[in-house]
Order: sequence, then structure tokens, then C-alpha cells
Amino acid sequence: MIPSDPSKVTAICFDRIHLPGQATLEVARKNGAYSYLPTVLNEMNREQIIEQVKISGLRGRGGAGFPTGLKWSFVPRNTGKPTYLLCNADEGEPGTFKDRDIMRFDPHLLIEGMIMAGFALGVHDAYIYIRGEFLHEANVMNAAIKEAYAANLLGEHILGTDFSMHLTVHRGAGAYVCGEETALIESLEGRPGRPRFKPPFPAVEGFYRCPTVVNNVETLATIPAILEHGGQWHKQIGVPNSAGMKIFSVSGHVNKPGNYEVPMGMPLRVLVEEYCGGLQHGDVPKAVIPGGSSTPWLGPEHYDVPLAYDEIHKAGSMLGSGAVIIMDETADVVALTRRLSHFYAHESCGQCTPCREGTGWLERVMLRLEAGGCNARDIEVLQDASEHMAGRTICALADGAAAPILSLLRMFPDEVNSYLAENKA
Amino acid sequence: MTTLYIDDKEVTVPANTSILEACRMHGVDVPYFCYHPELKVAANCRMCLVEVEGWPKPAASCCTPVAEDMRVRTQTETLKKDRKMVMEYLLIHHPLDCPVCDQGGDCKLQDYSVEHGASQGRYVEPKRRTEDKNLGPFITTCMTRCIHCTRCVRFAEEVAGTGDMGVLNRGDHMRIDSIVEDTLRSELAGNLAELCPVGALLDKPSNDVSRPWELERHHSTCIQCPHGCDVIIESRGDEVIRIKHDPEGAEAWICDRGRYVYDAFRSDDRLLVPAVRKQGELLACDWNEALTRARELLKDKKVGIIFSPSWSLEGLTSIRLLHDAVMNEAKVAFDLHRRDMRPFAFEEGLSMSTAEIEAADEVVILGSDLRQRLPILMQRLRRRVANGKALTRIGAMNYRTNTSPGKDALIRPRDWPAVIARAMEQLKDVGKGSPAMEAWLERVPARHEAGKLLADALMAERCAVLVGEEIRAHEDAAALIHGIDLLMRSAGHGEAGDDGRNLIPEGMNAQVLSAVFGDIRTGVGELLQAAEAGELDALMLVGSDPLGDGLFSMQARRVLRQVPLVQVGAIGGQIAEFADVQLPAAAYSEIEGTFVNMEGRVRIADKPLRSIGEERPLWKVMMRLTQELGADDVPAVSLDELRQKAAVFMPELADVFAGKKGAEWRMPTARNRNARCLPSGVEPAMALDIVSRFSMYREGAWARASGLLREAGQLFALPDVLVHPHTLRQLGLEEGECVIRTASGEITHHVGTREDVAEGVLFVAKRGGAGDLSTETSASLRGV
Repeated sequence: MIPSDPSKVTAICFDRIHLPGQATLEVARKNGAYSYLPTVLNEMNREQIIEQVKISGLRGRGGAGFPTGLKWSFVPRNTGKPTYLLCNADEGEPGTFKDRDIMRFDPHLLIEGMIMAGFALGVHDAYIYIRGEFLHEANVMNAAIKEAYAANLLGEHILGTDFSMHLTVHRGAGAYVCGEETALIESLEGRPGRPRFKPPFPAVEGFYRCPTVVNNVETLATIPAILEHGGQWHKQIGVPNSAGMKIFSVSGHVNKPGNYEVPMGMPLRVLVEEYCGGLQHGDVPKAVIPGGSSTPWLGPEHYDVPLAYDEIHKAGSMLGSGAVIIMDETADVVALTRRLSHFYAHESCGQCTPCREGTGWLERVMLRLEAGGCNARDIEVLQDASEHMAGRTICALADGAAAPILSLLRMFPDEVNSYLAENKA
Repeated sequence: MTTLYIDDKEVTVPANTSILEACRMHGVDVPYFCYHPELKVAANCRMCLVEVEGWPKPAASCCTPVAEDMRVRTQTETLKKDRKMVMEYLLIHHPLDCPVCDQGGDCKLQDYSVEHGASQGRYVEPKRRTEDKNLGPFITTCMTRCIHCTRCVRFAEEVAGTGDMGVLNRGDHMRIDSIVEDTLRSELAGNLAELCPVGALLDKPSNDVSRPWELERHHSTCIQCPHGCDVIIESRGDEVIRIKHDPEGAEAWICDRGRYVYDAFRSDDRLLVPAVRKQGELLACDWNEALTRARELLKDKKVGIIFSPSWSLEGLTSIRLLHDAVMNEAKVAFDLHRRDMRPFAFEEGLSMSTAEIEAADEVVILGSDLRQRLPILMQRLRRRVANGKALTRIGAMNYRTNTSPGKDALIRPRDWPAVIARAMEQLKDVGKGSPAMEAWLERVPARHEAGKLLADALMAERCAVLVGEEIRAHEDAAALIHGIDLLMRSAGHGEAGDDGRNLIPEGMNAQVLSAVFGDIRTGVGELLQAAEAGELDALMLVGSDPLGDGLFSMQARRVLRQVPLVQVGAIGGQIAEFADVQLPAAAYSEIEGTFVNMEGRVRIADKPLRSIGEERPLWKVMMRLTQELGADDVPAVSLDELRQKAAVFMPELADVFAGKKGAEWRMPTARNRNARCLPSGVEPAMALDIVSRFSMYREGAWARASGLLREAGQLFALPDVLVHPHTLRQLGLEEGECVIRTASGEITHHVGTREDVAEGVLFVAKRGGAGDLSTETSASLRGV
């Protein structure tokens, strides 16, 4: 049970994740799932729910950190069109593996969050766009949805109320870019996953050009707790402007990599040393990618940065999806960057010029750099091609592709130099 | 309206305009590749980036709407670097083959490379390999030059409606492809070459022929359909190299017929020298000899004149002047497609502009193959449907329009009276009947449910009725058009300038023809009948080809075999073998002249190409002939004089020639308020109705003289005779050889099937063994 004293909260999304059989409706219900749902459906109205979510200070857990309540309040009403709720479960950001655990161990938490969100938004059809590779997770979700339908938690007149909502799982086909919400919408509509330019924003013209809210799995899984305990309760967890708990997927050179749900604002060092068993080598990391491979790297000087939106931003990076990748002194940052460049070149959707041509170019130069075939002029190319790609395209994939290279060049010029042809020879 | 600042200059533009469009409106140069005013925004080239004060990142100006007090900067150091980088990205895989690329000299990529690019690229890795595509007879590809702007993909989707181009793969493997590995099946394909900002899609017929800077550009009017699009004829010296869309014209595209007809300008079918027939053979001669021979055939003889409507207004007027001066008794006809010569309640021509039609509340197409006949209007209607507006179509075939009209009914031509009657009943039921309607209804016992669609559409505030060839060529056309006029009046569409009465004409200059020839015209059928009966001594065909076009080919063939022929025209074609004298007249590219399109828009061409042979403008030929035939005074010796004479028939023209009417002024169509024609009640003699099929690649002497259009015609051909499979099944027949019986005899011909032809209709092409079927209106089928 999640305690109603915010100072005692140790987990929200992961509160029941370890309980055996939690993926089944019977066990989940025994453990409290859907217990507050009738109260929400019968005693709260749309405005009250959105107000509580606004008060809670919850920000999108998918990467951009946009305030969830505000996003919901942007959805126009009475447009004559249906409103859609899409759950972004296309967890593809390298380093991120948190949503997967929610879905495979506690699928009913997500369903409950989606019913509440759907009720708040007047949604009749909701979808979970799940990463194609998550076959097992999709199966678990589908089984849970089937149970929920049978228990009248989904479908027509949910729990005897006037509210009806259908929920469908759609499996992606393995494109990273489909985690971008407008590409996700395109893909869900049956088209190639290529991001749309904005405006119009999905809240106004999204899925089938209808008002649409796209929320991350972790975001939606937080909703039941917020509604049960109140927005104020959630706001008191964490630090100002970064309320609540956050799951960090820690990987790289730590002794105990894994998912850790901790209050926001916890210093990075505490997360690594107290939760993850410390670094494999050395006292401080050589570099940290704090929010997934698309976010700029932080150096050892930021080892004590609080894991909160504003603080990480101040340090020069982003909290992103909470995928913390730790590099200790043994890391070959050039090889790592080359690998990431391959990822982005492979995943670029190809529509915007800088990203289409730039990601491939960067990868080829990185390959050559690693093989010792580059000179100082190529470093200039890496710098220019990255700089003029980031922030110049429809979506942020180009920014993600540029981030590792710009970080590498900024933080490790000597190491890069050592790879140059003249120095290698 | 929104006020913003572009480079510190205050500008005001309509709300929701994009920054790029605001810049274009105010002459601020922002470079772009993927943006195109007629296509949806893609925002993928990223060349049009601008900076907005207070925004953390540069914005793509094409997809960013303006906002009040927004401060936009288009020229900053960062933007310069950004543009330079976009150019570098684009040129990574782009070959440096400008010297052998047809786009060279007229290429956005080349221009921007000079303006915004670096002098040298830094890319040294392996380059992308691409495969060229087969996009049909008009477009050649060189895909290494592609910059993936997706203009062509959007064109295929949004404009052509075929959607047969698309984007495959991702990242820098992305490529533009024709999805079905097939040619592009569009009548608008030629636009792709103009649309492509680089040299990836090029005009195939003119490829490797010339360089843009060698070409002279001549504003002209296309006469290949009544739409009369503004075109630019590009020539090197006197040779026409290609025809292009006029960016300053009224329409956004031109069709392949109007574009690739240029092949006819240099074909062997051109009449370039006068000729006379001696011992059965046509021999070139000088003008005097030809005119002498023409005089022998025409002077003081009973003559029939059939001319083409597509000559310039001046040329057409000169025919009338010739008639009035020296051939008073001659029978004059021009419409090869009209069987019913009684006056129509509203004569040929549109009362609305194509833009007004696109914007109307309702549009009803009554029996017209718009995609083949007026492809650019069809394109507008396609866009209309895409924008969710209503389109109703009633006719003998769905005509493969690449769009789905919401309301669609397939009917036989013999059903038209019942369709109109059904619509009249509906109006009566809501208290909108009239005594004239009662009189009309009395003659028609049957009702056809398709009439409901017509009546429903007519209830709209602004309804554009497009009356097509199925009605215009009907034996009872005047009664049908009267019926439609009654319907429109009852529904509240009183006569006004743009009252929705649009009778699609067969050719150009419909309004001119009504005004200049209204009082003397006769039907082509009647004229040929007189000739066959021995009442005419000679025939003069002025650009007209009744063998290849229209509904009278069988009679025309018989007449041409027995009556001496003076052929005046720019194309010899199949008429040449019957000609006793040929007088070459200049092509429309070679004259100064005035053209009026179906909307009544007037265009004056004033920068012609030079003649390539001895051909002369038609009016000069006609005046010379007038002189030869003994006129004391030649009615006009200059273009100015001729225009004054034309203004006698059409007083508004005086203002047009004086430049007092704007480019938007439209000549009104003729109306016959008192034409009260009631349905004849005569049923067709045989069970199946014949509908003559129009092919944009085959119809008209010009098109037939163009090898390019012939090739496309063969590629896109349907079987010559088509029926609905049910019709065959009901007769116990199968697709294949059948005997087709008409009033004029029997032929055995292959009969194909299509489900989009109305049941009970024989849909026939005007060519080959089935060619003469168009002369009949009904037929029956039986097995061989």
C-alpha cells in the first residue's frame, strides 16, 4: 500500500510490482487495484480530476517533462470529434527499460490509470502503442485487458456508470522514431512513422485529426495514486517543480544496474552509490548520460546533481526518460559514440534534410575516426554537422543524434585527438 | 489580419498565414525546396528556417503560422550557416553533373548552392546508389539528383489523385519510388518535371535537347480543350522545344494533352506549304496557284464550310467576313458534336469561373468525362472532394476520376428525361412547381431515381451544374437543357452572371461562336446530308477533321469521297488524302490573336513564334481568299481592322482591345430565354445506348499529329467497346467478339467489360473498327 504520508512514500509505480501474480486481475484487486476507481467515476468530475493532476505537479515521464495536467487542459471540448487517449509504450530510448516493467508486472496499474485519464478527458477509445519488440509485454497487457473487459472495468458502462471506454493494444514495428508522439500517431493510423510538424498539436489535431492526448506509461501509472491521495500529496514528494517519484533505469558501469523508483531530487551520487552498488571502477564516473542516449552527457563535476528537471537542465542536460547511463574510467567514449551514431543513422525517419543526411554522415565519420582515418578537418565536420542538425528538424531525433557527438567533442577533445590518424600512427 | 515584423519591417497578413507565405507576399526572399503553394506543407527540406525573437530554436517558416507582433529575422549569421549546412547535407549525395543535367540553369538547387552554399563540400564517404524509375512516356528520372522534398509524392496524392508515388525506407536509405513499379497513370504527369525543384524528374520528350538559357518564352493560350489554359511555349529559334505551365496563369497545372501536343508542331502532319492535287497526287505549289485552284472550286458554287472552334477570335471572325463578302449562300457549321440544332436555353460556355465552381456549395456533373475533357477542372473538383465538399455525378460512366464523388449515379442517355422529371417532381413536392414544368413533365411518363441527387443538389444556395457532352450531344438536347433550366429557375437559381448554368463546350471560343455565327450556323449533320444529296458543289474544311472527331465520321467519309475539298489548316492529318487544295494556316503558337475560354476569359497572345514554312495566320488566308473570290474590298487588311469588325458582333470586345477590361473580365454565355423545347418522347430504336468516349490523347487533329500523345493513348487505352458485364450476361453473351448492329449496319468487334459503365450502355472509342459507332445513338448486341 502506498502510504498517505508523502514523506513515507517509497514507490508509486513500482509499489506492487514485486507481488507474485500481480499481473492477474484477481491478485491485483486483492492488492488494491481499481479500489479507488468507483470513487473517481462516481464522485469526481472531469474538471476536478484535471485540477488534481495539475496540483500534483506531475510532469510527463516520457522525456519532455511537460506538465500532464496542463496537457490535459489543452484538449478542446465540444469539437464534435472524438477525443483519443494514446499511451506511449514505445519505450525505445537507448538506456530506458522502465515502462516495460510496469507493463509486464503490473499491467492493471496502467489500465486503471488509463481509465481515469480517459474519464477525465471524455475518451471513448484509448490505445496502447507498444514497442514491437515487447511481445511478452503486449501479451501480458492483452491478457490483463481481457480480464478488465470481463470485469466491466473496460467497455460499455464501466462499473455501471455512464462512462464507456475501449482499450486496444497496438504493436509497433520497431521504429525508434515512433516514440515521438506525432510519429506514433501516424504509425497508429497505419502510415509510415514520420513525425508531423507542429502546430497543430495533437491535443487539437492528433489521431485521425481529432483531439488526442499522448501520455507515457509511467505518467499514466502515476494517476491512480494521485487521485486517491490527492494532488497536494503528490506535490509534496520530490522537490519543487519536480514532484513525485521517478523510475530511473540505471545501466553502464555500476555494480547493480536496474530500475529504481526514487523521489525526484535525489543526488545522482546517492542513486549510484546507495542503490546501484556504486561504480565498477574509480570514485567518480567519467561521464553520465542522465536521461537516455539523446541527452547531453554530464561530467564528474555533476556527480552530485539532484535528479530533477530544473537542476539537470542547469547542469546542461535533460532528465529525459530517466535512463541513467554511467561510464566509468574504462569506457571508450569514441567507440560508444560511434555505436550511438549508428543507432541514430539507422532510426532517422529520413524526412528532414539535416537528420536524413546528417545522421548517416556522422556515423560514417565516426567509423572512420574509430578506425584511425580522420584528421582535424573531420572533427570540424562532426561539430558542424551536429550543431546544425540539432533543433533544425521536425522532431528531436536530430537533437538526440547530435547530443553524443557534441558531448564527446566538448568533454573529451584529447581522447578524440588520440584517435586522429596522425596521432594513431 | 495579423501584424508582424519581418526583418524589422512591419507587415500585415491574413491570420494563420505561414511565415514563409507572409515573406513571399512582401517580397522577402526566404529559400525553400519542399514548399509549394499548391501542395500541402511537408516542412522537410529545412531550407526555409527563420529566427523568431524569443524562440530558442530556428523555425521552419513554411509550417509556422504568424502571430501578432511576432518578430521574424530572415538574415542572421546563424541562419546563413544553417542554410549553408542544409546545402551541404543536400549535396552529399547529389552528383556534380549540372553541365549534363536538363535542370541546369533553371534549378533551385543550383541557384541556392551559389547563393547559400559553400564552394566545396566536405563529404568524402561513399555515396548513395539509386535506381531510376519508369514513370511513363513523359517523365524521365535521375534519382541520384533527388533531394527527397516529396513534392512529387504529394502531387501524386493530392493533385493527380493516383497516389502512385511514395517514400520507401528511412534515414539516408530513403527513396522516392513509384510504389507499384509501374508507370504513372495520370493525365497531369507532365507537371512533375516542373514541380521537381532539381533534375531528378525531368521532361522525357525534351530531355537532352536544349539548355534553358537558349530558350525563348512565349506566353500563349492552349487550345487543346475549352479550358484554354495559359501556357508558355519555349522555343529555340523557331522550333518549339516544349510547352510549360504559365506560373502567372489562372490555373496551377496544365494537362499532358496541352503540354505534349508540342510534338505536333514539328510533325510531318503540319501543313507548311500550299498544295494542289494533280493526277491524284498532292503537290506543293505557290500561294497563287493554290488560291487559283481554290477559286475554281469555290467561286459561285454552293459550298459547305466546316471549321474548328479553336482558331483565334480573329481567325473565326475572318471566316464570317469571308462568308458575308463572297459566300453568302454557303452553309457554315463548326460543332462536330451537336445533333440537336434547336437553340439551347443556355448555350455553350460556363457562367462561373473554375474557382467559383470549386467553391460552390454543390457541384453536379451531368454526363461528362471531365478527367479526359477538362483535366484541370477535374483536378479542382478532386481537391474540392478532398476538402470534404460535395460532388454529385450522374452519367453513363464513372470516368475514372481518381476521386469518389459522394453522390454518384450511372444512367443511360435515354434516362435523362426521366432523371430530370424525377427532379422536377421533387421540386413540385416542396411547392416549387411551375406551369412550364408541368408542360415538360406531361411529355415524360418515366421517373429515374438519379433525379433525386440532382434535385437535392439544386436546393443549395450556390449550385454549379456542369452539363456535359452526354446531354449536349443528345438528340433531344434542347429539351433536356430546357428542362434543366426550368429546374434551376424553380430551385431559385434565377438568371444572373454566375447562375450555375454551365454547358461544357466542345472547344474554345464558345461565346465568340455564339455571337459571330449564331445567326448563320447550321448543323454538321445537316450540312453533310445536303452534300450527300448533291446539294453542295464543294466543301471547305478549316482546321476541322470530321473523320477523326465528332459524331458524323461515317457521313463525312462518304461526302469527302464525292465532293471536292479545300483544306485550310495547320494540320493535314487524315483529311489530306481527300484535299484538292491545301492552304496552310499558322499554328496557334505562330500567331498574334485573341482566345476566349469556356469561362469567357479573354487572352491575347502577342509574342508569337515565327512561321516555320509558308503558312500564314488564318485571317490572312481568309482575306486573301475573299479577294480571290472577287470581293471588291477586302474586309480587313490589318489585325486592328479585323478586331474592329469582331467588335461589331461583340461590342464588349472594343473595351477588351482597348485594354479597358481587366484580365478577370469574362465574356457572358448566350442565353435563349424563349427556347421552350419539350421532350420528344421518342424512344431509341435499339436496346443499348451508344455513348461516344473522349480520349484526351486521341481527340483533335493536333493530338493525333503528336507522336507523344499517340504513345500515351496506346499505353492508357481501354478496349474500344465497353459494356457493363451484367448487360452482356443478360444477353447471354461473354466478353469477346460480338456483332454490333446499328441503324447503319452491322460490325463484328471485340466487346470488353467494365463495372463502371452504366448497364445498357455501349461505351465506344472513336477509332479503328468501332470508330463509326459514335455516329449512331443506339445499338443491339448478339453473338457471332
